Amino acid sequence: MSELVIVGLKLGFLALLWLFILFTGNVVRTDLFGRKVNPAELSGKKPTRKERKARKGWPKAVKVTHGAQAGTVVELGEGILIGRSADCQLNLDDDYVSTKHARIMRGQDGYILEDLGSTNGTFVNNARISAPTPFALGDTLRIGRTLLSVEK
Amino acid sequence: MIVYRKRRLVEAFMLLLAITLAMGGYILTHLNIDAELPEQWPWALGILGSLALLAHIVVRIRIPYADPLILPIVMLLNGMGLAMIHRLDLGSDPLTHSAELQLMWTSVAVAVFCIVLIVLPDHEILHRYTYLLFLAGITLLMLPLLPVIGSEKHGSRIWIQLGPYSFQPAEIAKIVLAIAFASYLVDKREVLALAGKRVLGIDLPRLRDLGPIAIMWLASLAVLVFQKDLGTSLLFFSLFVVMLYIATERPSWPILGILLFVVGAVASYPFFSHVQTRVSAWLDPFSDFDRNYQVIQAQFGMAWGGLFGTGWGLGRPNLTPLAKADFISAAIGEELGITGLLAVMLLYGILATRGMRAALGSREPFGKLLAAGLSFVFVIQVFTILGGVTRLLPLTGLTTPFMSQGGSSLVANWAMTALLLVITHHARRPQIETANPVTSLSSETTQIIEVKA
Repeated sequence: MSELVIVGLKLGFLALLWLFILFTGNVVRTDLFGRKVNPAELSGKKPTRKERKARKGWPKAVKVTHGAQAGTVVELGEGILIGRSADCQLNLDDDYVSTKHARIMRGQDGYILEDLGSTNGTFVNNARISAPTPFALGDTLRIGRTLLSVEK
Repeated sequence: MIVYRKRRLVEAFMLLLAITLAMGGYILTHLNIDAELPEQWPWALGILGSLALLAHIVVRIRIPYADPLILPIVMLLNGMGLAMIHRLDLGSDPLTHSAELQLMWTSVAVAVFCIVLIVLPDHEILHRYTYLLFLAGITLLMLPLLPVIGSEKHGSRIWIQLGPYSFQPAEIAKIVLAIAFASYLVDKREVLALAGKRVLGIDLPRLRDLGPIAIMWLASLAVLVFQKDLGTSLLFFSLFVVMLYIATERPSWPILGILLFVVGAVASYPFFSHVQTRVSAWLDPFSDFDRNYQVIQAQFGMAWGGLFGTGWGLGRPNLTPLAKADFISAAIGEELGITGLLAVMLLYGILATRGMRAALGSREPFGKLLAAGLSFVFVIQVFTILGGVTRLLPLTGLTTPFMSQGGSSLVANWAMTALLLVITHHARRPQIETANPVTSLSSETTQIIEVKA
């Protein structure tokens, strides 16, 4: 074999060896945090076909239509917390919103909006709510000065 | 809620890459020496490939959540060791066939690995036999001192000879004692950590709690004095001290341990000529060329290898005595250069960090301590032998895990890998599968129990 081929093979082997190490590095990196699962999957309860069918017409997300973050879309999933604190899934930059203002939960027959004792109140279609209130597609929610529209 | 992926496909892919690299080393050796493909390459590929496949399948079935990196790294190190031993076989005169024997031992080791995974689904079982395992470990450690079966090779009495077979019981002892230490310390760590006086800002343990560390110190000294094996002695003592430190989180233990080791080493130094030889070979090898021949040859080899090495089969690693066993890393350094040697060191490093990761992630203290202890056994072996070969430390006769020639070490290290994988499986498994579902009493139906009068 020519000298060039020998050197090429030698360097190729070393490159492959380091490639192996780069792959391990990548696996370590992607392995750091695992994958997200929702609690329903963990408790072993998968939504039955009936439940899935019933949920077909339910809203999927809320969209900010008026306010500093107009255009933001947040998926509802199992439910979200709305407020100014950083641990809220919908974190609003609005002085009229309380730290933990309201929350949206998934109930048996659809999503429910609940006020968490906010200063300025929570409104569904311009009516202030005093108890957990169900809402549907096309409704408008008002949190402080921010308007949310319920989207598919 | 976060759950680890199983990542068995990643493991399969990495195993494939590991086999490719091992076969690459083997084939390149033949290409470079005879300029043709080795005749038996399909056999080698078949055996190595089926061993990897077997291990992978058993992992898939028994411990599907196990760490995906540990098995491929171990396979790669073992495969590269095999290729290097074969290369040294080709270079030796007369021709030797130690690679075939090593391949047979690899098969035995993989079989042991599979058996451990099959019979031991949960490492918690081992927690029951603390003192039995401790006794067994110490007995195994002292076995070579027995008159008939113990035998001395290369100046160290660490072998036992049963007919034509010889093996090092210390290799088995290191697993047994790691388990025993872990389960002892889980039970006793509070009393070791909390009771005792505080002197100079260090929490000293109570005198009566010093019993086990004293026994281990004496056992290590006995190994050093009667078996003349510095490496094994250091391995067991440091393993115990490190596990004590991990269990109690008290820095007083490593300080005490280092002090005891230094006292032991300094006190025994003038009496043991083999220790003196090692120290002189470490600090000033060129003062006595004949006596330090091995270390000097290894230095020349690695210097010749340089950055990228001479290439498989193109160096002369056979000039170093015991190149297949203690000095296999010097052979790697010569033929793959510092680039290859650093890659090998990094692989050991990743292996140990994956073990430590399992210790961090494990949900019960026994698994934590055992994973940390087993990873430390790998670390201390690699550190002392590679440190010795590269003259960072005095040379001590420990094996390079998975690479160097020797059946007992290979089998023991594969068994340790299996234990580590079982712990990673339990650490990474989603919680729901480990938790016992609590059924509420109200959902039970009312039962009528008949009472006989």
